[in-house]
Amino acid sequence: MVHRRYGLKEIALGAGFILLLLVILTFYIWYQTEAIQLGYRIGELEVRINRMKEDIKRLEAKRSELLSLRRIEGIARGELGLVDPAPGQVLYEGRDLEPKKERP
Amino acid sequence: MRSPFANGMRPRALAVAVVLTAWFVLVLVRLVHLQVFEHARLKSDVLSQSQNEIAVYPTRGTITDRNGKILARSLPVESVYFSPVRTEPPSRQMEQIARLRGILDLSAKDLARIGARVEKRSGYILIKRKADPDVAARAFALGVKGLFLQGESKRFYPQQNLAAHVLGGVGIDDNGLAGVELQYDRLLEGEKGKRLLMLDARRRSYSFETITEAKPGQDLRLTIDETIQYIAESELEKAVTVTGAKWGTVVVMDSSTGEILALANAPSYAPGDYPPESEVGRNQAIARNFEPGSTFKIVTAAAARACGRVGFGEIYDCRKGSIMVGGAAVRDHKPLGVLGFSGVFIESSDVVTIMVAQEIVARGLYDMIRAFRFGEKTGIDLPGEEQGIIHPLSTWRTSSFRVAIGYEISVTALQILRAMNIYAARGLLVRPHIALDRPAGIAEGEPAVLPEKIVGELVPVFEAVVEEGTGKPARLEGFNIAGKTGTAQKIDRAIGAYSSRLHLASFVGFVPAERPALSMIVVIDEPQGTLQYGGQVAAPVFREIAARVLRYLRVVPNAAPPAVITASLAKGGRP
Repeated sequence: MVHRRYGLKEIALGAGFILLLLVILTFYIWYQTEAIQLGYRIGELEVRINRMKEDIKRLEAKRSELLSLRRIEGIARGELGLVDPAPGQVLYEGRDLEPKKERP
Repeated sequence: MRSPFANGMRPRALAVAVVLTAWFVLVLVRLVHLQVFEHARLKSDVLSQSQNEIAVYPTRGTITDRNGKILARSLPVESVYFSPVRTEPPSRQMEQIARLRGILDLSAKDLARIGARVEKRSGYILIKRKADPDVAARAFALGVKGLFLQGESKRFYPQQNLAAHVLGGVGIDDNGLAGVELQYDRLLEGEKGKRLLMLDARRRSYSFETITEAKPGQDLRLTIDETIQYIAESELEKAVTVTGAKWGTVVVMDSSTGEILALANAPSYAPGDYPPESEVGRNQAIARNFEPGSTFKIVTAAAARACGRVGFGEIYDCRKGSIMVGGAAVRDHKPLGVLGFSGVFIESSDVVTIMVAQEIVARGLYDMIRAFRFGEKTGIDLPGEEQGIIHPLSTWRTSSFRVAIGYEISVTALQILRAMNIYAARGLLVRPHIALDRPAGIAEGEPAVLPEKIVGELVPVFEAVVEEGTGKPARLEGFNIAGKTGTAQKIDRAIGAYSSRLHLASFVGFVPAERPALSMIVVIDEPQGTLQYGGQVAAPVFREIAARVLRYLRVVPNAAPPAVITASLAKGGRP
């Protein structure tokens, strides 16, 4: 059997081609892996965003609960000892008011 | 080489071939049996072991007051499910589930129910519906095989009882059962989705696939003002407690737009624990028919002026203090002497109102009642509204003239408020509504119920009711209030006749009379004790609410009350 002898140039070309293939393959695998990793990361972040949105909704509701007028009035009257203003303590600003005339 | 089929080896080779062929045929028959005849059953078995389709509930829309304050919101919670593990005996699985008992607050009944379903190896079993997310996470952390969590939402009412009868309530599946939750259920609920859970050999969920995406519900903004609602509720609650009444209701409406600013009932309930006891859940403002008594004289007064037979110069002698109507006596609440037309309404004389009604004649009175739209629902966007009861004119008897003083007719509190608001809106009928984005309360092109002339004549009469008549306790320094009191005797079922002890006290009016900002009705049912008249029980509640609400709305009084210090900027002065 007769074997053909390859020249140096041919061997280098072949090796370069194989190397290129390996690089492309490696890049492709790296790219795919990264894409999957990023997909997981995006998924995790989406879950986090949703949780944060839920937390915002929960906190808004909590704020509404804490600012409920029944609670505020309870604190104002019960803990701080505040009372309603007497008629003489109410100031009406920005308008000249005539003293009320008695009905004939 | 010797052939295997040569001589003595041939029978043995044949035997092996036959056995192998028979074995192949058997396998083939079994395969056909499994793949063709048992296909459907086996496929469903595989699917039930490896997949579970579950419903995904959408987040219900938020309900806010007119200023965006949250009144109802759905928050995420976790429902805890268990998917029985086929490879483990039920008793062992129940031992695992029993570990959740303390955390999830499971009763013996719950465990028995779960146990029965584990025995049956049901697809997936509900352990706890709508648990707090932290509690569910603690349960999940125990690592019970087959346990999984499903996100859902639960209705939360941050203001507790506030506006309970407006909001209504929802069921366990977040479906509206009463109030705006029911009225706007379609808008609020959104659309359910479907999700396919992928299960491993141990029936643990490792992935899911969304079949249909859940669509969240839309938000709803009400005309209710949280502060006005709170003022109305607290004043009403105080009055009902002090008077020992059975129930009370208050409705506050924007006079020009028909927007309901507050609708309160006492006693009330927590919408988060819906349904409440039957009577407490009833919205007395719209779902209770009653004989209104003297507040209905606002219709009689209009009919009197519209028919043209009764003038302001008329003088009536009511020193006798009673009149016979259809065989029964109608009496005034006190001797009233001689009264002019205005005085009849200022002092709320039943006797003279009957006399006036007889001058109007039945047709005129009936037509005015219909013009004020009694006997028709107001069209408010709340469920369960009653339309009241009006007897057809053809069935009227002599006693039917008692309609003029608010008997032999049934109305709702909201109908009376709408009627009084016709005076506030200069003769126009304003439709009350509760959702802010609904069209304005006055229908375009709709004719006025009353001509402006009659409104202009009668509003001062109703102002005088408060200034010097039965409605004096509603007087508010600095503001002119137009109003009318009502005290209706109620039927005592024990004796089958009107009782002298049981009353329904009411006051309806608007303020300021010359530029109405608010129209309001207060109804107190069966006040106990010595004070039972509308002027004594309901009018003071009107005054207290009006005073606080006008201050909140920064409505400046017409005139300074005697003790008020007024301040204003001097011309060119700096703030």
